[in-house]
Order: sequence, then structure tokens, then C-alpha cells
Amino acid sequence: MQHPPAVAVRGLEKTYPGGTRAIDGIDFTVEQGEFFGFLGPNGAGKTTTIKILATLLPKSAGRVEVAGIDIDRDARGVRASIGVALQEVGLDDLSKGRDFLVLQGRLYGVGRAEANRRADELLELVGLSGVGKRKIGSYSGGMRRRIDLAGALMHEPGILFLDEPTSGLDPQSRLAIWEHLEQLNAQGVTVMLTTQHMDEADRLCRRLAIIDHGRLVTEGSPSALKAGVGGDVVRVSFGHMESPDGRTDAALGALRQLPAVREADTTPDGLTATVDDGGTAAPAILRALNDVEVPVANLAVTRPSLDDVFLHHTGREIREADADEDAESRVWGQWMGVNRR
Amino acid sequence: MLILRESSYIYVRNLKTWLAQPTMIVAAVFSSAVMYLFFGEPLRGITGLPGFPASDYQAFLTAMVIVMAVVFSGSDMAMVLLTDIMSGYVDKLLLSPVNRFSILLGTLAIGATRAIAQVVAIVLVATAIGVRFEGGIVGILAVIVATTLLGIAMGCVGLIIAVRTRSVQVTVNSWLLFMPLAFLTSAFMPRDLITGWFQFAVGLNPIEYILVAVRTIIIDGWIWEHIVPGFWVLLGTSAVLVAAATYEYRRATN
Ligand SMILES: Nc1ncnc2c1ncn2[C@@H]1O[C@H](COP(=O)(O)OP(=O)(O)O)[C@@H](O)[C@H]1O
Ligand SMILES: [Mg+2]
Repeated sequence: MQHPPAVAVRGLEKTYPGGTRAIDGIDFTVEQGEFFGFLGPNGAGKTTTIKILATLLPKSAGRVEVAGIDIDRDARGVRASIGVALQEVGLDDLSKGRDFLVLQGRLYGVGRAEANRRADELLELVGLSGVGKRKIGSYSGGMRRRIDLAGALMHEPGILFLDEPTSGLDPQSRLAIWEHLEQLNAQGVTVMLTTQHMDEADRLCRRLAIIDHGRLVTEGSPSALKAGVGGDVVRVSFGHMESPDGRTDAALGALRQLPAVREADTTPDGLTATVDDGGTAAPAILRALNDVEVPVANLAVTRPSLDDVFLHHTGREIREADADEDAESRVWGQWMGVNRR
Repeated sequence: MLILRESSYIYVRNLKTWLAQPTMIVAAVFSSAVMYLFFGEPLRGITGLPGFPASDYQAFLTAMVIVMAVVFSGSDMAMVLLTDIMSGYVDKLLLSPVNRFSILLGTLAIGATRAIAQVVAIVLVATAIGVRFEGGIVGILAVIVATTLLGIAMGCVGLIIAVRTRSVQVTVNSWLLFMPLAFLTSAFMPRDLITGWFQFAVGLNPIEYILVAVRTIIIDGWIWEHIVPGFWVLLGTSAVLVAAATYEYRRATN
């Protein structure tokens, strides 16, 4: 028999009791050993999906298999095969870092000596060896994320679910976590990570799905997704001009007549044009603008970013601003929901 | 057995959490001492009233101090549990392959441990100030077993409060809920000397029967007609509360 996929999701739906339709029918598969990303803005349904896959939250409809096990058939079997780090880290502040890890291992059936050995090893890995004897309550935000991640690794799971593992972290801690994750994936661990940060998805994920309003809008490798948006983007800025409006219209008209230009639009201080190949289009654009006597202060050719991918598929910019905004405010309602189903 | 081993891990963790909060322990011990001092001295004269069963009011009071300490521990239990819910630590436990029932067991076992610790401490203090236990060593052990069961039952009440409300405000103030349980009793005065609506209310309070049984063992010894009703009430109440807590817990974690 072939290896079953690490995650197979078919027709997954989730409606919260208040009527919020958080997941509106999604399908995806994560192969073993993959580094898979779930990219989407706040409220897209990332956390809901992860909690369902991790058996913490009941789904409304659909089929989910994790590590080849149907979550409805054998939830404990699924729990034993996965490691999970939730967006809101669930830590025991009164416990010492190392004790927390050892207990975490014991709860997954790891023997005492082995749990102690792994705790030391993981403290080392996440750079917390020096503070293993300190209470978790005294840790900084970055340290909490890292001890939480270490806790998820105590039983050496083959599959890791990470819900926004770097949200709210300083750049240094972020980089450290990225490196741990790359290392784990290189050792064969399947990683499924959610994020609302383009740079994170771009750097880590070999394949990603974009989720918005509980639906998958597109899926593929970061480079394939960017290529799907179209060729290069040429941005032109005019610098200061006496009467920008009239000249801008003239410039826009000139660009649109060029065969190399697929699309052109105005920006606050200039123009942007989508072209097949920036290298050959740029000189033509400069010549055309020169012909209509519009001075160019700056011209840049860029490849489309994941931001452009998101914009292309949803018509909106992913709002990074409210990135970590309501994480805390919802923790209240989440556990033991009288109204969770 | 796997369940026992799993619950023992959770139990040890909960125990550490409890011991890591010395204020909670100090408050528990302190409130017991306060009850002896504040109620013991000023009310000493009461024992002279006709019909009062014990000449030593301190002995009479010991039962009340024990039962109240354990009744109010339910409120502490609710707070401890709510902290774990709010911090997301309970989710962490639920993500593990540990049996749901092990988590519940490891939590309620703490209610038992607290009760034992409190009762032993109070018995030691009582002995030190000269209270004689008529029921003897066996009586003391019986009181410990009974209050342990009561501790589990009150832990169940705490669990239900925390799980149902998930509100710090309600939970912090939940000791108010335990007040009538503790005070609508013959804690200060034998029931025969109480009259009117109070007497009626006391008759409805299950804690009253448990208190009477415990007090009888302490000040009179093995007078079965005063002990047996308390035994059955304790057994019944505990069974109902454990069932209710298990139900709430299952509903919330499935
Ligand atoms: N416990 C809950 N009860 C009701 N609605 C919820 C709950 N948790 C999340 N939601 C709603 O479900 C949607 C998806 O939320 P979530 O999965 O947390 O998104 P993300 O993790 O992508 O930010 C949002 O509209 C959110 O408000
Ligand atoms: Mg989220």
C-alpha cells in the first residue's frame, strides 16, 4: 500500500452555534513530508480548520483523515500521531519549563527517562536551556511560543499543526522559529502551518493554499501562484509635476497603446503596468513616456509578490494591520463551548 | 491501569499547581483558625444553655470548622480550574491522547487531597487546644473519609461552576453560593434550639446532616441514629454531584 497522505480533507464545513459559517466547504491534501501553508487574513477560518484537524473542535460536515486515520473513527489515534501548537499557546504558568515538557511527553506515553532526555534536547533546540528551571509565567512572549513548540515535539510526531506560530513575535524570534521548522521538515516531519504573513508563507511553504471567508481561493507553490498572476509589474513615478492630471492621462493612454503592456493603471504618484517581460517592456515604456513629454523620476520592475496573488484572487489586500488584534479577545468563548457545536 | 497512570500525571501536576499558590493554602488554614478564635471564645457561654449537648464549645465547633473549610474549598477549585481553562492549558490536555476521564479524575482527586490536608490540619490544631474526640482514632479516620468525599463533591460543584459560567467574576464570587450551604446549618447551635424558617431551611440543607454526623462522632461517639442519615446524605449528594460534573465535563469536551 502507498503512504496515506498526512492530511486529507473533503467537503469540510463548520458553522458555529451563533450561525457564523467559518468553513464553507474546503478540500485539500497534504502529502507526507510536505511543508504546507494555509495563508489567509484574520477571520478566514485558519484556526477553526486547525482545531478541527487536531480533534479539538467538532466539524459540521465533511471527511477528515489525518495520518491515514479518520478523525471520527479514532480521535485518540489522531492525537497520538500529531503535534499541535495553537495560536493561543496553552501553557501552565505555575509550572517550570522543563517540568511542562516532561509532563507533555508522559501524557503521550513517553517513558520517564526518555521524556527527561528529550526535554533537555528540545530546550536546547529552542534555545531555552538556561531557563528550563524557571516558571513559565516568567517567560517572554517569544519564549512562550518556543516552549509551546517544544511541547508539541516531545513525542516526536510525524505531523505538526502550527497555527500562526510566529504571530506577535519580534523578528529575531521569528527567524529562530523558522529555522527550527525548516530543520524539522528536513528531517521528514510534515508541517502544516497557518499564517497571515506573506513573507512567512513565501519563505517556508513549498505549497500553500489561500483561504478567505472559509473557502480556498487558490492553491499551489508560491512561485506557481505568482506566475499565475501574470508577468512582471513595472512601476513608474513622475516626481513633482505642475499639472499631473492631464499629463497622467496622456501617459496612461500612451502606455495602453504599447503591445507589450497587458494592463496599466494610475497610482498616487505615477503609473503601474503589467507586462510579460519587464526587461524588454521597460525601454519601450520610457520611450513612450518621453514621446508624450512626461518626465520619469523613477522606474522599477518587480515580480508579482504573494500580496499581488492575494489581491488577484480576492480583489482585496490582505490586511496585515489587524494581524494579532483579536486573538486574545476570543479566548473566552473558545473552550468547553456550551455553544461550541 | 492506563487511566490511573494518566490521572496520576495530571494529579501530580495539579498538586504542584496548588502547592505553588501558598496564599490559597494560608487562606484556608487561616480561615479555620479564625473560626475557632472568633466563634469559640465569644460564644463559649452558649454551652450553658439548657439542652446544649456538649459542655465544650470548642469540640462542638470543630465539626463546623472542618465542614466549612471543605465546603468553601469548592470555590477555590472552581477558580483553579477556570485558570486552566482560560490559559488554554485544558485545551493542551485535550489535544493529547490521554483519556478524558483521566483528566477529570486527576482534577477531582485534588478536591480530595485538599480536604484531607485541611481536616488533618484542623484535627491536629483541635487536639492541641484540648478537644477530645469521643469516636477515638476510628472516629477521626471516619471523619477524614467523610470529609474527603465531601471535598470531591464540592470539587464537582466547583467544576460545574467553572465549566458552565467560564466567567472570572462569577467564579471569584462563587463562595457566596457556598455560604448558605455552610451557614444554613446547626453549625453554631443545635437544631433543637433553632426555630422558625431557619429551622426549616436547615432541615433542607444536605450539609446539615453531614455536619451532624461528623459532630456526633467528635463529641458523642458512635450514636448511630445521628450518624446514619448523614452517611446516606453524603453518599447520595456525592453520587449526584459526581454524575452531574461528569455529564458537564463530557458535554464540554466532546
Ligand atoms: N468560538 C467561536 N464562536 C463563534 N464564531 C467563531 C468562534 N471562533 C471563530 N469564530 C468565527 O469564525 C470565523 C473564522 O475564525 P478563525 O478560524 O479564528 O479565523 P482565523 O484563524 O483565520 O483568523 C470568524 O468569523 C470568527 O469570528
Ligand atoms: Mg486564527
